Amino acid sequence: MIKITNLEKFYRTEEVETIALNKLSMEVNTGEFVAIMGPSGCGKSTLLNILGMLDDPDAGSYVFNGTEIAHFNERKRADLRKHNIGFVFQSFNLIDELTVFENVELPLIYTGVSSADRVKRVEEVLDKMQIMHRRNHYPQQLSGGQQQRVAIARAVVNKPKLILADEPTGNLDSSNGNEVMELLTDLNEQGTTIIMVTHSEHDARYSHRIIRLLDGQTVMENIMV
Amino acid sequence: MIKNYIKIAWRNLYKSKMFSLIHVFGLTIGITVCMMIFVYIMNEFSMDNFHKKGKQIYRVMRAFPDMKEGIPYLSGPYALALLNDFPGDIKRAVRVQGSQGLISFGDQSFVEKKLYNADADFFNLFSFKLLKGDASQVLKDPSNIVLSETTAKKYFGSIDKAMGQTLTLNKQKQMKVTGISRDVPANSHLNFDVVVPISNYTKEDYFNVWINNAMYTYVQLDEHSNAAQLEKKFPQFVKKYMGEDMAKFGFKFTLTLTPLKDIYFEPSSAFDGVKHGDKTVVYIFISIAALILLIACINFTNLSTIRAVERSKEVGLRKVLGALKNHLVLQFIGESMLLTIISCALSVGILMAAMPWYRELLGYHVSVSWNSAPIYLFLIGVILVIGFLAGSYPAFFLSAFSPIQALKGKLRLGKSGAFFRQSLVVVQFSITVLLIIGTIVIMKQMSFVKGKELGYDKEQVVIVPIDNDDIYNHMGVFKKELENKAGVASVSLMSGEPGGYYDRHLFDVEGQHDRFPSRTEFADFEFVKTLGLKIVAGRDFSPQFVSDSAEAVLINETAAKKLGFTAQQAIGKQIKNTVRDDKPRRVVGVVKDYNFLSLKENLDALIISPAMDRRVAVIKLKAGDLKNSLATIKDVYSEVAPVYPFNYSFLDQKFDTTYKTDIRQQTMLAIFSGLAIFIACLGLFGLASFTAVKRTKEIGVRKVLGSSVPNILLLLSGDLLKPVAVATAIAIPLGYYFMNAWLQNFAYKTPLQWWVFAAAALITFGIALLTISVKSLNAALANPVRSLRSE
Repeated sequence: MIKITNLEKFYRTEEVETIALNKLSMEVNTGEFVAIMGPSGCGKSTLLNILGMLDDPDAGSYVFNGTEIAHFNERKRADLRKHNIGFVFQSFNLIDELTVFENVELPLIYTGVSSADRVKRVEEVLDKMQIMHRRNHYPQQLSGGQQQRVAIARAVVNKPKLILADEPTGNLDSSNGNEVMELLTDLNEQGTTIIMVTHSEHDARYSHRIIRLLDGQTVMENIMV
Repeated sequence: MIKNYIKIAWRNLYKSKMFSLIHVFGLTIGITVCMMIFVYIMNEFSMDNFHKKGKQIYRVMRAFPDMKEGIPYLSGPYALALLNDFPGDIKRAVRVQGSQGLISFGDQSFVEKKLYNADADFFNLFSFKLLKGDASQVLKDPSNIVLSETTAKKYFGSIDKAMGQTLTLNKQKQMKVTGISRDVPANSHLNFDVVVPISNYTKEDYFNVWINNAMYTYVQLDEHSNAAQLEKKFPQFVKKYMGEDMAKFGFKFTLTLTPLKDIYFEPSSAFDGVKHGDKTVVYIFISIAALILLIACINFTNLSTIRAVERSKEVGLRKVLGALKNHLVLQFIGESMLLTIISCALSVGILMAAMPWYRELLGYHVSVSWNSAPIYLFLIGVILVIGFLAGSYPAFFLSAFSPIQALKGKLRLGKSGAFFRQSLVVVQFSITVLLIIGTIVIMKQMSFVKGKELGYDKEQVVIVPIDNDDIYNHMGVFKKELENKAGVASVSLMSGEPGGYYDRHLFDVEGQHDRFPSRTEFADFEFVKTLGLKIVAGRDFSPQFVSDSAEAVLINETAAKKLGFTAQQAIGKQIKNTVRDDKPRRVVGVVKDYNFLSLKENLDALIISPAMDRRVAVIKLKAGDLKNSLATIKDVYSEVAPVYPFNYSFLDQKFDTTYKTDIRQQTMLAIFSGLAIFIACLGLFGLASFTAVKRTKEIGVRKVLGSSVPNILLLLSGDLLKPVAVATAIAIPLGYYFMNAWLQNFAYKTPLQWWVFAAAALITFGIALLTISVKSLNAALANPVRSLRSE
């Protein structure tokens, strides 16, 4: 599904150039659950942003589902992204002014799903995440675990092929964290590819494969059994 | 999607109530002021546009080569002569004579001050709507009379009862009510309550003297006739009928045609009795509206941008979830339009509530025509322009962010952005300082004019108009009776009180080749004493010199100077009024110059003659019980003119009326400047809150490192005040330029001193500093631990 080759990304300020990704290559197959680990500043988030088409690489190739997209413009990337990728963030990133229902509905609005279909699909996914009873609440009225479940609902409502999760349990206590990991595992078992950045060895154990990064390069890969 | 946007917009507004309030409030004030000015301008420009034959109607003016304004008054014979001599060009000629009259019926009587004597075609030419009666018939017979709706109701309770009633006009003529007209709309230069056929007066002597100033003459040209072509034929016409008179009196004039729609704005002398407007004022108001709207717009943009930064997370997320740039641009422009719509709705409400007050301020009745398109076009225009203009900067600014930055909340308003925002603040405050300078200079000029040494005594002087037959026929008795009363110092009967009417005549002066044009005053011997004038050479009129009535004149210093004499040299010179006198008079005295005209006009030559022409009685009271003295005057008045109500005014009040328009403009400008400052400060308050929030961490660190509260206050305020300082520097030279130009309107000008500009700067700085301090102080006083933790 994903194949990146010699990917490079630099951050420049006026005087300093920092290498975030240094000729990084990797592959992720459809249906895989991959965890990316490494110390702060190793390039995990940069990699996730590029994979999520939120950022473009300075050099190298990124093939998504057989299409080279490294040089796609913003409009094309946005189009590809909204149909194929769901995001889960450490800080949930729900819009405070929208209710649970409206937050989950948002991606469907941007992909042009009709109003009736939207209601059906949002309700379906809220049901699945067991958060239906909170549909008219605002994010700040929910616990952290509930908020993350809403965020996951939002990530999957468009039935993406790929979910990118950036430390999804980072802001949760262990029991809520486990719940979230169970949810992700379920989604993976139903066929969704998942790439997750994490600091937690415990969470990483839910994945099939761990890629360890240091200074923008892969230093080790563990296949989980 | 749109529903989602509206929802988000509304919830955002609701969430940050303070900001929304500043946002909407500032804009609402801006729009309200603009709507007020719009209503005023619509009224000004809709003058006389309701006359169906308007395009063919002209007022005939007399144009003199040495006067910039024409004279709107012609005598009675013109209309018929014009019809007779230009049958192909002029279809109709209607004379309108402004007058007043005593109307009585039963035991009631009313003095009607807005009474027109007009030709029978009056209602055919002008489209004043008749509620009762037929336009061609209502003025046909000399005994007909037309009342306005309000007047009819005042007399008889309803227009139906009024029709057919018999009224007595000026205690002599029996008139029958044959028509009721709807009240004259505010946008008409003509204004009447009663119309009487002019045929009642065509046999009077004065009516048929060609040279008299008596009435307006309106003509309706043939559709195929050309006004300019017709004007070319007028010199011949004037020569034919007036040639002899012109040669005799040394006049030279021609006739011109002023289109109906231009009458309102034509430059006119103070004695034209119809309503006039000033285009300069209209332009000043348009500029003010534009400036205030600009200030409000800038506020809106600045505040929206700041708010947008707070919403960076939302923007980032929307992008992650697939929103394209144009989605976001649309969303933010839409929100800005929503805010504008709310503001417009509030403005409409405020405008309706403020209308009575606004009418009073304007001094006449304007109304908003809610059932016509312009006001809605204006509102839609405002929504589109402001919503779009003010909304587009934040829209494009925000939507250009990378989603990652936006999500991390790492949005920085870059240096160029800061520069842009500061430039906007500079523009805002430049306008504000400009308006303050304008207000100060106008107020200063007005108080200068008011405090100016007028050269005559205006305190405790009562003016009683000699405006009806009874008082006119008995004015000698009136004067004598008053002179015997204890509270009265002196009484003088004259043609014009200071600030009143001064006709211009030509004089033959001994030793001068050319005829000398001068203003004229006709007054009795008590003139100098009553007005408290000073004689600088020679003597006053005196009953000791029996010949004075027929042979003496006084002149003012300006007249002597213009004639090339010193005051002493002027004494004894022969002078003859070419219009009024058969033989020359002698100058017996020179009076010190006094301001008999408005202070906008330069001093002019004045020749004071005891010849007859009495229009007002000027009564100087002794210091003391004013109320009692007035009661005394009233008693005497009712003895000589029992049926007429007693009308009077004070000379100092009269003086204020002369400057009424200027005082109105001053008040309006002061109010609008105040609002401009207020709106600009609302914006500054927003900026201050933003700065305080943005620099929370910096303030925390500084405090931990030992900075004091005043230091921080200084730091924050200093930065915010910089654009205000730049604005002041820009506005001062501009203010100097504009106000200097405005002062050229006046013959007597207040100097533009440095303190005017210093005061404007100080006021602006003071208010700005006060605004900023509120927020800065909060930030400076906050516990550093909390501000650091928030990072």
